[in-house]
Amino acid sequence: MTLFVAGLSHKNAPVELREQLAVEEDKLRELLRDVAATGAVQETLILSTCNRVEVYGVAEAPGEARAVVFRHLCRHRGLSHASIEPLLYTHVDDDAVRHAFRVAASLDSMLIGEPQILGQVKDAFALAQACETVGPALHTLFTQAFAVGKRVRSETEIARHAVSVSFAAVELAKKIFAGLGGRAVLLVGAGKMGELAARHLVEHGAFPIYVANRTWQRAQEMARALSGAAVPFAELEAALAGVDIVITSTGAPEPVVTRAMVQRVMHGRRARPLFFIDIAVPRDVEGSVNTLDAVYCYDIDDLKQVVEANIRERLREAQRAEALVEREVAKFLARRGDVEVIPTIVSLRERLEEIRVGEVRKALARLPGATAETRETIEMLSSAIVKKILHAPINKLRESSRAGSSRSWLELVHELFGLGRR
Amino acid sequence: MYPTLLDLAIFGYIAATGLSLAYLVQREEWLHRLASVATIAGWVLHAVSLLALAVRLGRPPLGSLSEAVSVAVWVAVLWALWVERQYGVKVLGAFVLPVVLVFGINSTTTRPLAIPGIERALGGAWIWVHIGLVLLGIAAFVLNFAGALMYVLQERQLKAKRPGKLYYRLPDLETLDRLTYRTLALGFPFLTTGLILGVLWAGRAWGSVFAYDPLALLSFVAWVIYAGTLAGRAAAGWRGRRAAYFAIIGFATLVLTLGAGLFLPGRHGS
Repeated sequence: MTLFVAGLSHKNAPVELREQLAVEEDKLRELLRDVAATGAVQETLILSTCNRVEVYGVAEAPGEARAVVFRHLCRHRGLSHASIEPLLYTHVDDDAVRHAFRVAASLDSMLIGEPQILGQVKDAFALAQACETVGPALHTLFTQAFAVGKRVRSETEIARHAVSVSFAAVELAKKIFAGLGGRAVLLVGAGKMGELAARHLVEHGAFPIYVANRTWQRAQEMARALSGAAVPFAELEAALAGVDIVITSTGAPEPVVTRAMVQRVMHGRRARPLFFIDIAVPRDVEGSVNTLDAVYCYDIDDLKQVVEANIRERLREAQRAEALVEREVAKFLARRGDVEVIPTIVSLRERLEEIRVGEVRKALARLPGATAETRETIEMLSSAIVKKILHAPINKLRESSRAGSSRSWLELVHELFGLGRR
Repeated sequence: MYPTLLDLAIFGYIAATGLSLAYLVQREEWLHRLASVATIAGWVLHAVSLLALAVRLGRPPLGSLSEAVSVAVWVAVLWALWVERQYGVKVLGAFVLPVVLVFGINSTTTRPLAIPGIERALGGAWIWVHIGLVLLGIAAFVLNFAGALMYVLQERQLKAKRPGKLYYRLPDLETLDRLTYRTLALGFPFLTTGLILGVLWAGRAWGSVFAYDPLALLSFVAWVIYAGTLAGRAAAGWRGRRAAYFAIIGFATLVLTLGAGLFLPGRHGS
């Protein structure tokens, strides 16, 4: 029996194909049952997201199982099997374990560290369990994969550091202020992007929110939407004096916040920091305000640059995550390997012990006058011989299981010692 | 017994420094845990060595400047451990421990000499109070310096808009500013009281307040810088970068002061 995973993902299949193959839950249920009914697979699970369609399973012949599953899938979606066949990859045994762990840890995702995939894998597992296509092998594999996914999330920073401009702005604010709770925000302009950034800040506790806009009515609408207060556009400078974070997104052709203005405002703030998030193009805040003491001004390009740095940081963290996954794979295989060889080791011991006890009894029957000492010596002698004989084969079995080649050794041991069918 | 134990303590601090710097570059939790263990081990050994020295000398281990610096280092490590937990600044060790190490090694290489008559010269309980208070102040300024250094580095990253490795590892500016302010507010009263006692004592024992002692002179320069920073903070609302620069200058003066005491001839010398 071989553990395998087969399918296609964003790495090799175009989105047009992936969206055609993505299966909704009802169909998935049907598919799982159909595939199980063919008898080609012993256990199976199908993971279908917008970035991957994969079948995990245990089968005698993975290639055959793969063909059955994808032929079924293609029939469902009205595709020709021949057209997707060249795109399919298959991983077996160790590679399948590694793949499952990497997928759950979001290391195989299009955007590394994205948080949805672990939930999607859990859903797929729950569905397969409900359809009773999950057996012991997939159960241990996926329970461990969930644990690995969780560990990677908590022990590395692959899921940290914003990869969108508006979240990057929130993170920057958190590097300037100790928490955003109770920080006053001024939103200048009523653009969608500005509103989104303001919402993120509100979600992190920023309060109160002020809105300034050239059109008074629009300012009021936006203020209502954000549970804030509208301030007259003419009083922008006064409003700047009392806030911590300013988001600007007007359509003005000239800067609405000038260096001179900020300089005057900062005078009365006693170096209390002021953070400008300028997402307008053309820019709303004169870039040179950034050189003023305690003023930080990020325009859209700066924010994009931060996002790029964040992605690089995520990739650096991904390397650590890969190492962690690799260790987990090794641990998993060692444990699984032992599980595979333990029954054989036990029956091997039992078999030899049976022979030893039988032979000792016969020998003692021929020695009626034997003293307790003699009996004890014979017992000890025979035990020692059995132990010595067993030492090498048991070690070899354990080693081979760790090296992933236990199957032929198990068969050999069964044959040699007449242990009967496994 | 004193050098052996102290050497072990220094060795602990060396290990802790290396691990803390490694943790600054590589975010591996075990590095941080090991660094903490090494720091605590070094600190405990240091405590035992100081105790052993005190027992051997039959007086507080503050009789010479190098002894006093050793105690200041010991207090600074204790405060660093506390601040790290209090503020959740896990990278603090990387900024405090190198300073600790430099002072710690200095205090071992300039071994205390058994100066005849030192007991008599230091006679009077309040000379111990003078030394004790000043070194508590110095220990606080070690942390003040570390906080300021982190502030300047993080501020630079934010102004440059090019997030580097330190941007991700260092805490936010406000926390760092609060840390420098509080350590300044903590250290300053100790330094002030300690220096006043020193002045009074010097006036009586030496007949002159400064008596051409370079350490005494420089320590007043450091005091003026710290006093100015504190006044600026309280009255003019200085914070952030300006306060951080002053903290760094103040500490540099303090280091110079101690260096003068250790290496220039004067009445504080060992």
